[in-house]
Amino acid sequence: MYYEYLTVGVILFILGVLGIVLNRSNLIIMLMSIELMLLAIAFLFLINSVVIDNLIGEIFTLMVLTVAAAESAIGLAILVAYYRVRGTIAVKSLNLLRG
Amino acid sequence: MYILVLFLPLLSAIISGLFGRKIGTKGAGVLTSSCMVISALVSCCIFYETVLNSSAAYVKLWRWFDSELFTAYFGLHFDSLTATMLIVVTSVSALVHIYSTGYMSGDPHIPRFMSYLSLFTFLMIVLVTSENYVQLFIGWEGVGLCSYLLINFWLTRIKANKAAMKAMLINRVGDIGLILAMIKILAEFGALDFSTIYSIMSLNEWGDVYSNSVAVNKDSLTIICLLLFLGAVGKSAQLGLHTWLPDAMEGPTPVSALIHAATMVTAGVFLIIRSGPLFEGSPFALTVVTILGALTAFFAATTGVVQNDLKKVIAYSTCSQLGYMVMVCGLSNYSTSLFHLMNHAFFKALLFLSAGSVIHAVSDEQDMRKMGGLLKSVPFTYTMILIGSLSLMGFPYLTGFYSKDLILELTYDKYYVAFAYWLGSFSALLTAFYSMRLIYLTFMTDTNLKKEVLTKVHESTWNITLPLLLLAFGSIFVGYLGKEVIISNVIPPMISNSVKVVPLILSLFGALLAFVIYDRVTRGTSWEGAKHRRGIRNFVRVNSIMNVRSSLSEEKFERNFVSSLFHIVYTFFNSAWQFNYVINHFIVSNVWKFGHLVTYRIIDRGILETIGPKGIAKVLISLTQTISNYQSGMVFNYALIMIIFTTLFISGASVL
Repeated sequence: MYYEYLTVGVILFILGVLGIVLNRSNLIIMLMSIELMLLAIAFLFLINSVVIDNLIGEIFTLMVLTVAAAESAIGLAILVAYYRVRGTIAVKSLNLLRG
Repeated sequence: MYILVLFLPLLSAIISGLFGRKIGTKGAGVLTSSCMVISALVSCCIFYETVLNSSAAYVKLWRWFDSELFTAYFGLHFDSLTATMLIVVTSVSALVHIYSTGYMSGDPHIPRFMSYLSLFTFLMIVLVTSENYVQLFIGWEGVGLCSYLLINFWLTRIKANKAAMKAMLINRVGDIGLILAMIKILAEFGALDFSTIYSIMSLNEWGDVYSNSVAVNKDSLTIICLLLFLGAVGKSAQLGLHTWLPDAMEGPTPVSALIHAATMVTAGVFLIIRSGPLFEGSPFALTVVTILGALTAFFAATTGVVQNDLKKVIAYSTCSQLGYMVMVCGLSNYSTSLFHLMNHAFFKALLFLSAGSVIHAVSDEQDMRKMGGLLKSVPFTYTMILIGSLSLMGFPYLTGFYSKDLILELTYDKYYVAFAYWLGSFSALLTAFYSMRLIYLTFMTDTNLKKEVLTKVHESTWNITLPLLLLAFGSIFVGYLGKEVIISNVIPPMISNSVKVVPLILSLFGALLAFVIYDRVTRGTSWEGAKHRRGIRNFVRVNSIMNVRSSLSEEKFERNFVSSLFHIVYTFFNSAWQFNYVINHFIVSNVWKFGHLVTYRIIDRGILETIGPKGIAKVLISLTQTISNYQSGMVFNYALIMIIFTTLFISGASVL
């Protein structure tokens, strides 16, 4: 009965992916897209947990939220450190390690 | 004692080669000469035992190859053929050794020279005493190697280097024939030793008579014989592969005498004689042998007539006489061939060594046009060279007469090779002509030497004249003494007296012609305008261009035409029928071009390298470059790739 919400989750996830792939300007957008993907995943977990009437999905969602918070904290820290060194946060300038 | 004949030359070669510095120049000369003399004496004893007492000896030394079906021993085989060859090889070699001590005196490398000479003799003895083809091949290659070393003795001279390489390489062409023949023999007979092959061949004859089965079929025999003959052609300088022989005159004169008169070139004839039973099975091969031999005799004689180099005249004469030997082998008269080989060794060694003596006397001048008038100064050498030449042209009662006339008679007897007879007879005429020409230009005509050279002309020391004297005795008596021993089994053909005297008359006519022509040349220059001399004069132009004075009061046009025609003919003969030009221009240069352009540039550096290391490296490098370009450093690209492959992975996993 909540199956239509699955589409919302998937669309959110795809939006997050496209945000990473198509974004060339700003690292913050990339972090936000990652957050969006995590959110979509958490949302999918919740829906599935409701659908199959199981608590594990919700527990897992709590853990994902924690991990997402920690991850965005570390990611923002890295971003700030990076900005201090380079003075810019453009994704295009992240190409020092070319093959 | 039988091994001693083999061992002594080896010993002297080793000692003189390795310890030449210790024993010194004189020591090397004395040691090698005495070893060689002892070896010659031993071979005389062997001759006495194996030929005169007709007890052939076989010495099996050790087992050499030992595989399942093929066993070859290292063994010595002394029959009458070997004993005769041994006499020739060791005696001429001993005399050449003694001669070299005098001729080469003053040369800084005498021990090396003596060592090479002895090594050469040793390998030649290995060749003639071998009991199978493999062992024969050791000697065969060995004499080729030694000829290289000896022709190249003065190794600072570029011409000597080139001549030595040419000798080695052209011999190698023939050697390939011998190797292929050996392989074919092994395939057909299953053995390489002569005794087995001879007995299988005798089975072959019986098989023909009593049943239809033969041990070896004719076609493969023909192939074997032709390949063997190719080997003989290379070694014995028959037409086609003869070009190394005249060039090999770059070596010192004793080397020419040893290699190109007595030993090395006779190896080819020896091979044919040794393989006689095989050749008997193949009439086609015999015909080829006769034809090529006759052509060689004729070719070399015509070329010898117009050579100006003293040694080259004799070299072409050797080639011509080898043609005779091969020709008569083709008529199945192997003992006659052997007899001529033996006689030829003596008088040709005499001629070469006398030529060396002349060259020595006139301060190393080899051009006959720059000699002349030596008759009074070096009468002994003149006598020797005269004996040698008379013997060569088959003057009655000298050595050459007994074999050469017999060869021509035997050729006449075989009606199906009549042209060989006429070629041979005409070569006899030319032989006499160039021998007389040599003597006339060197000794009789007015001198062309420089004054300071002419005043210093002198006879040589005893160790040069003694071998000449001994060889002269050989040239006079060997034919008479040897004819009962060696050719007693040859039945002289029934031919009329008029035919029998034809070669003799032709020879005498040739000698007389040369004498008359050159006599007229020298006097005719100051004697003008005689109409009836015109023919001779024009012929004179052929033979000695430099003597011709344009003093004829005749029609200019005719004279120019005739003289240019004769000039063409003269050039043709003088350059040996343009063989060198043809071979260099059409074979050698094309092979070189092929080697450089096709095999080196196109195949080796081209195709193989493109599809080989270079091509693979190129493809791999560009591939890795492309792949590593995917790692652009852009994070969003990485993300895209990760997502694509994750999708692929998941969908692939679900498919599986």
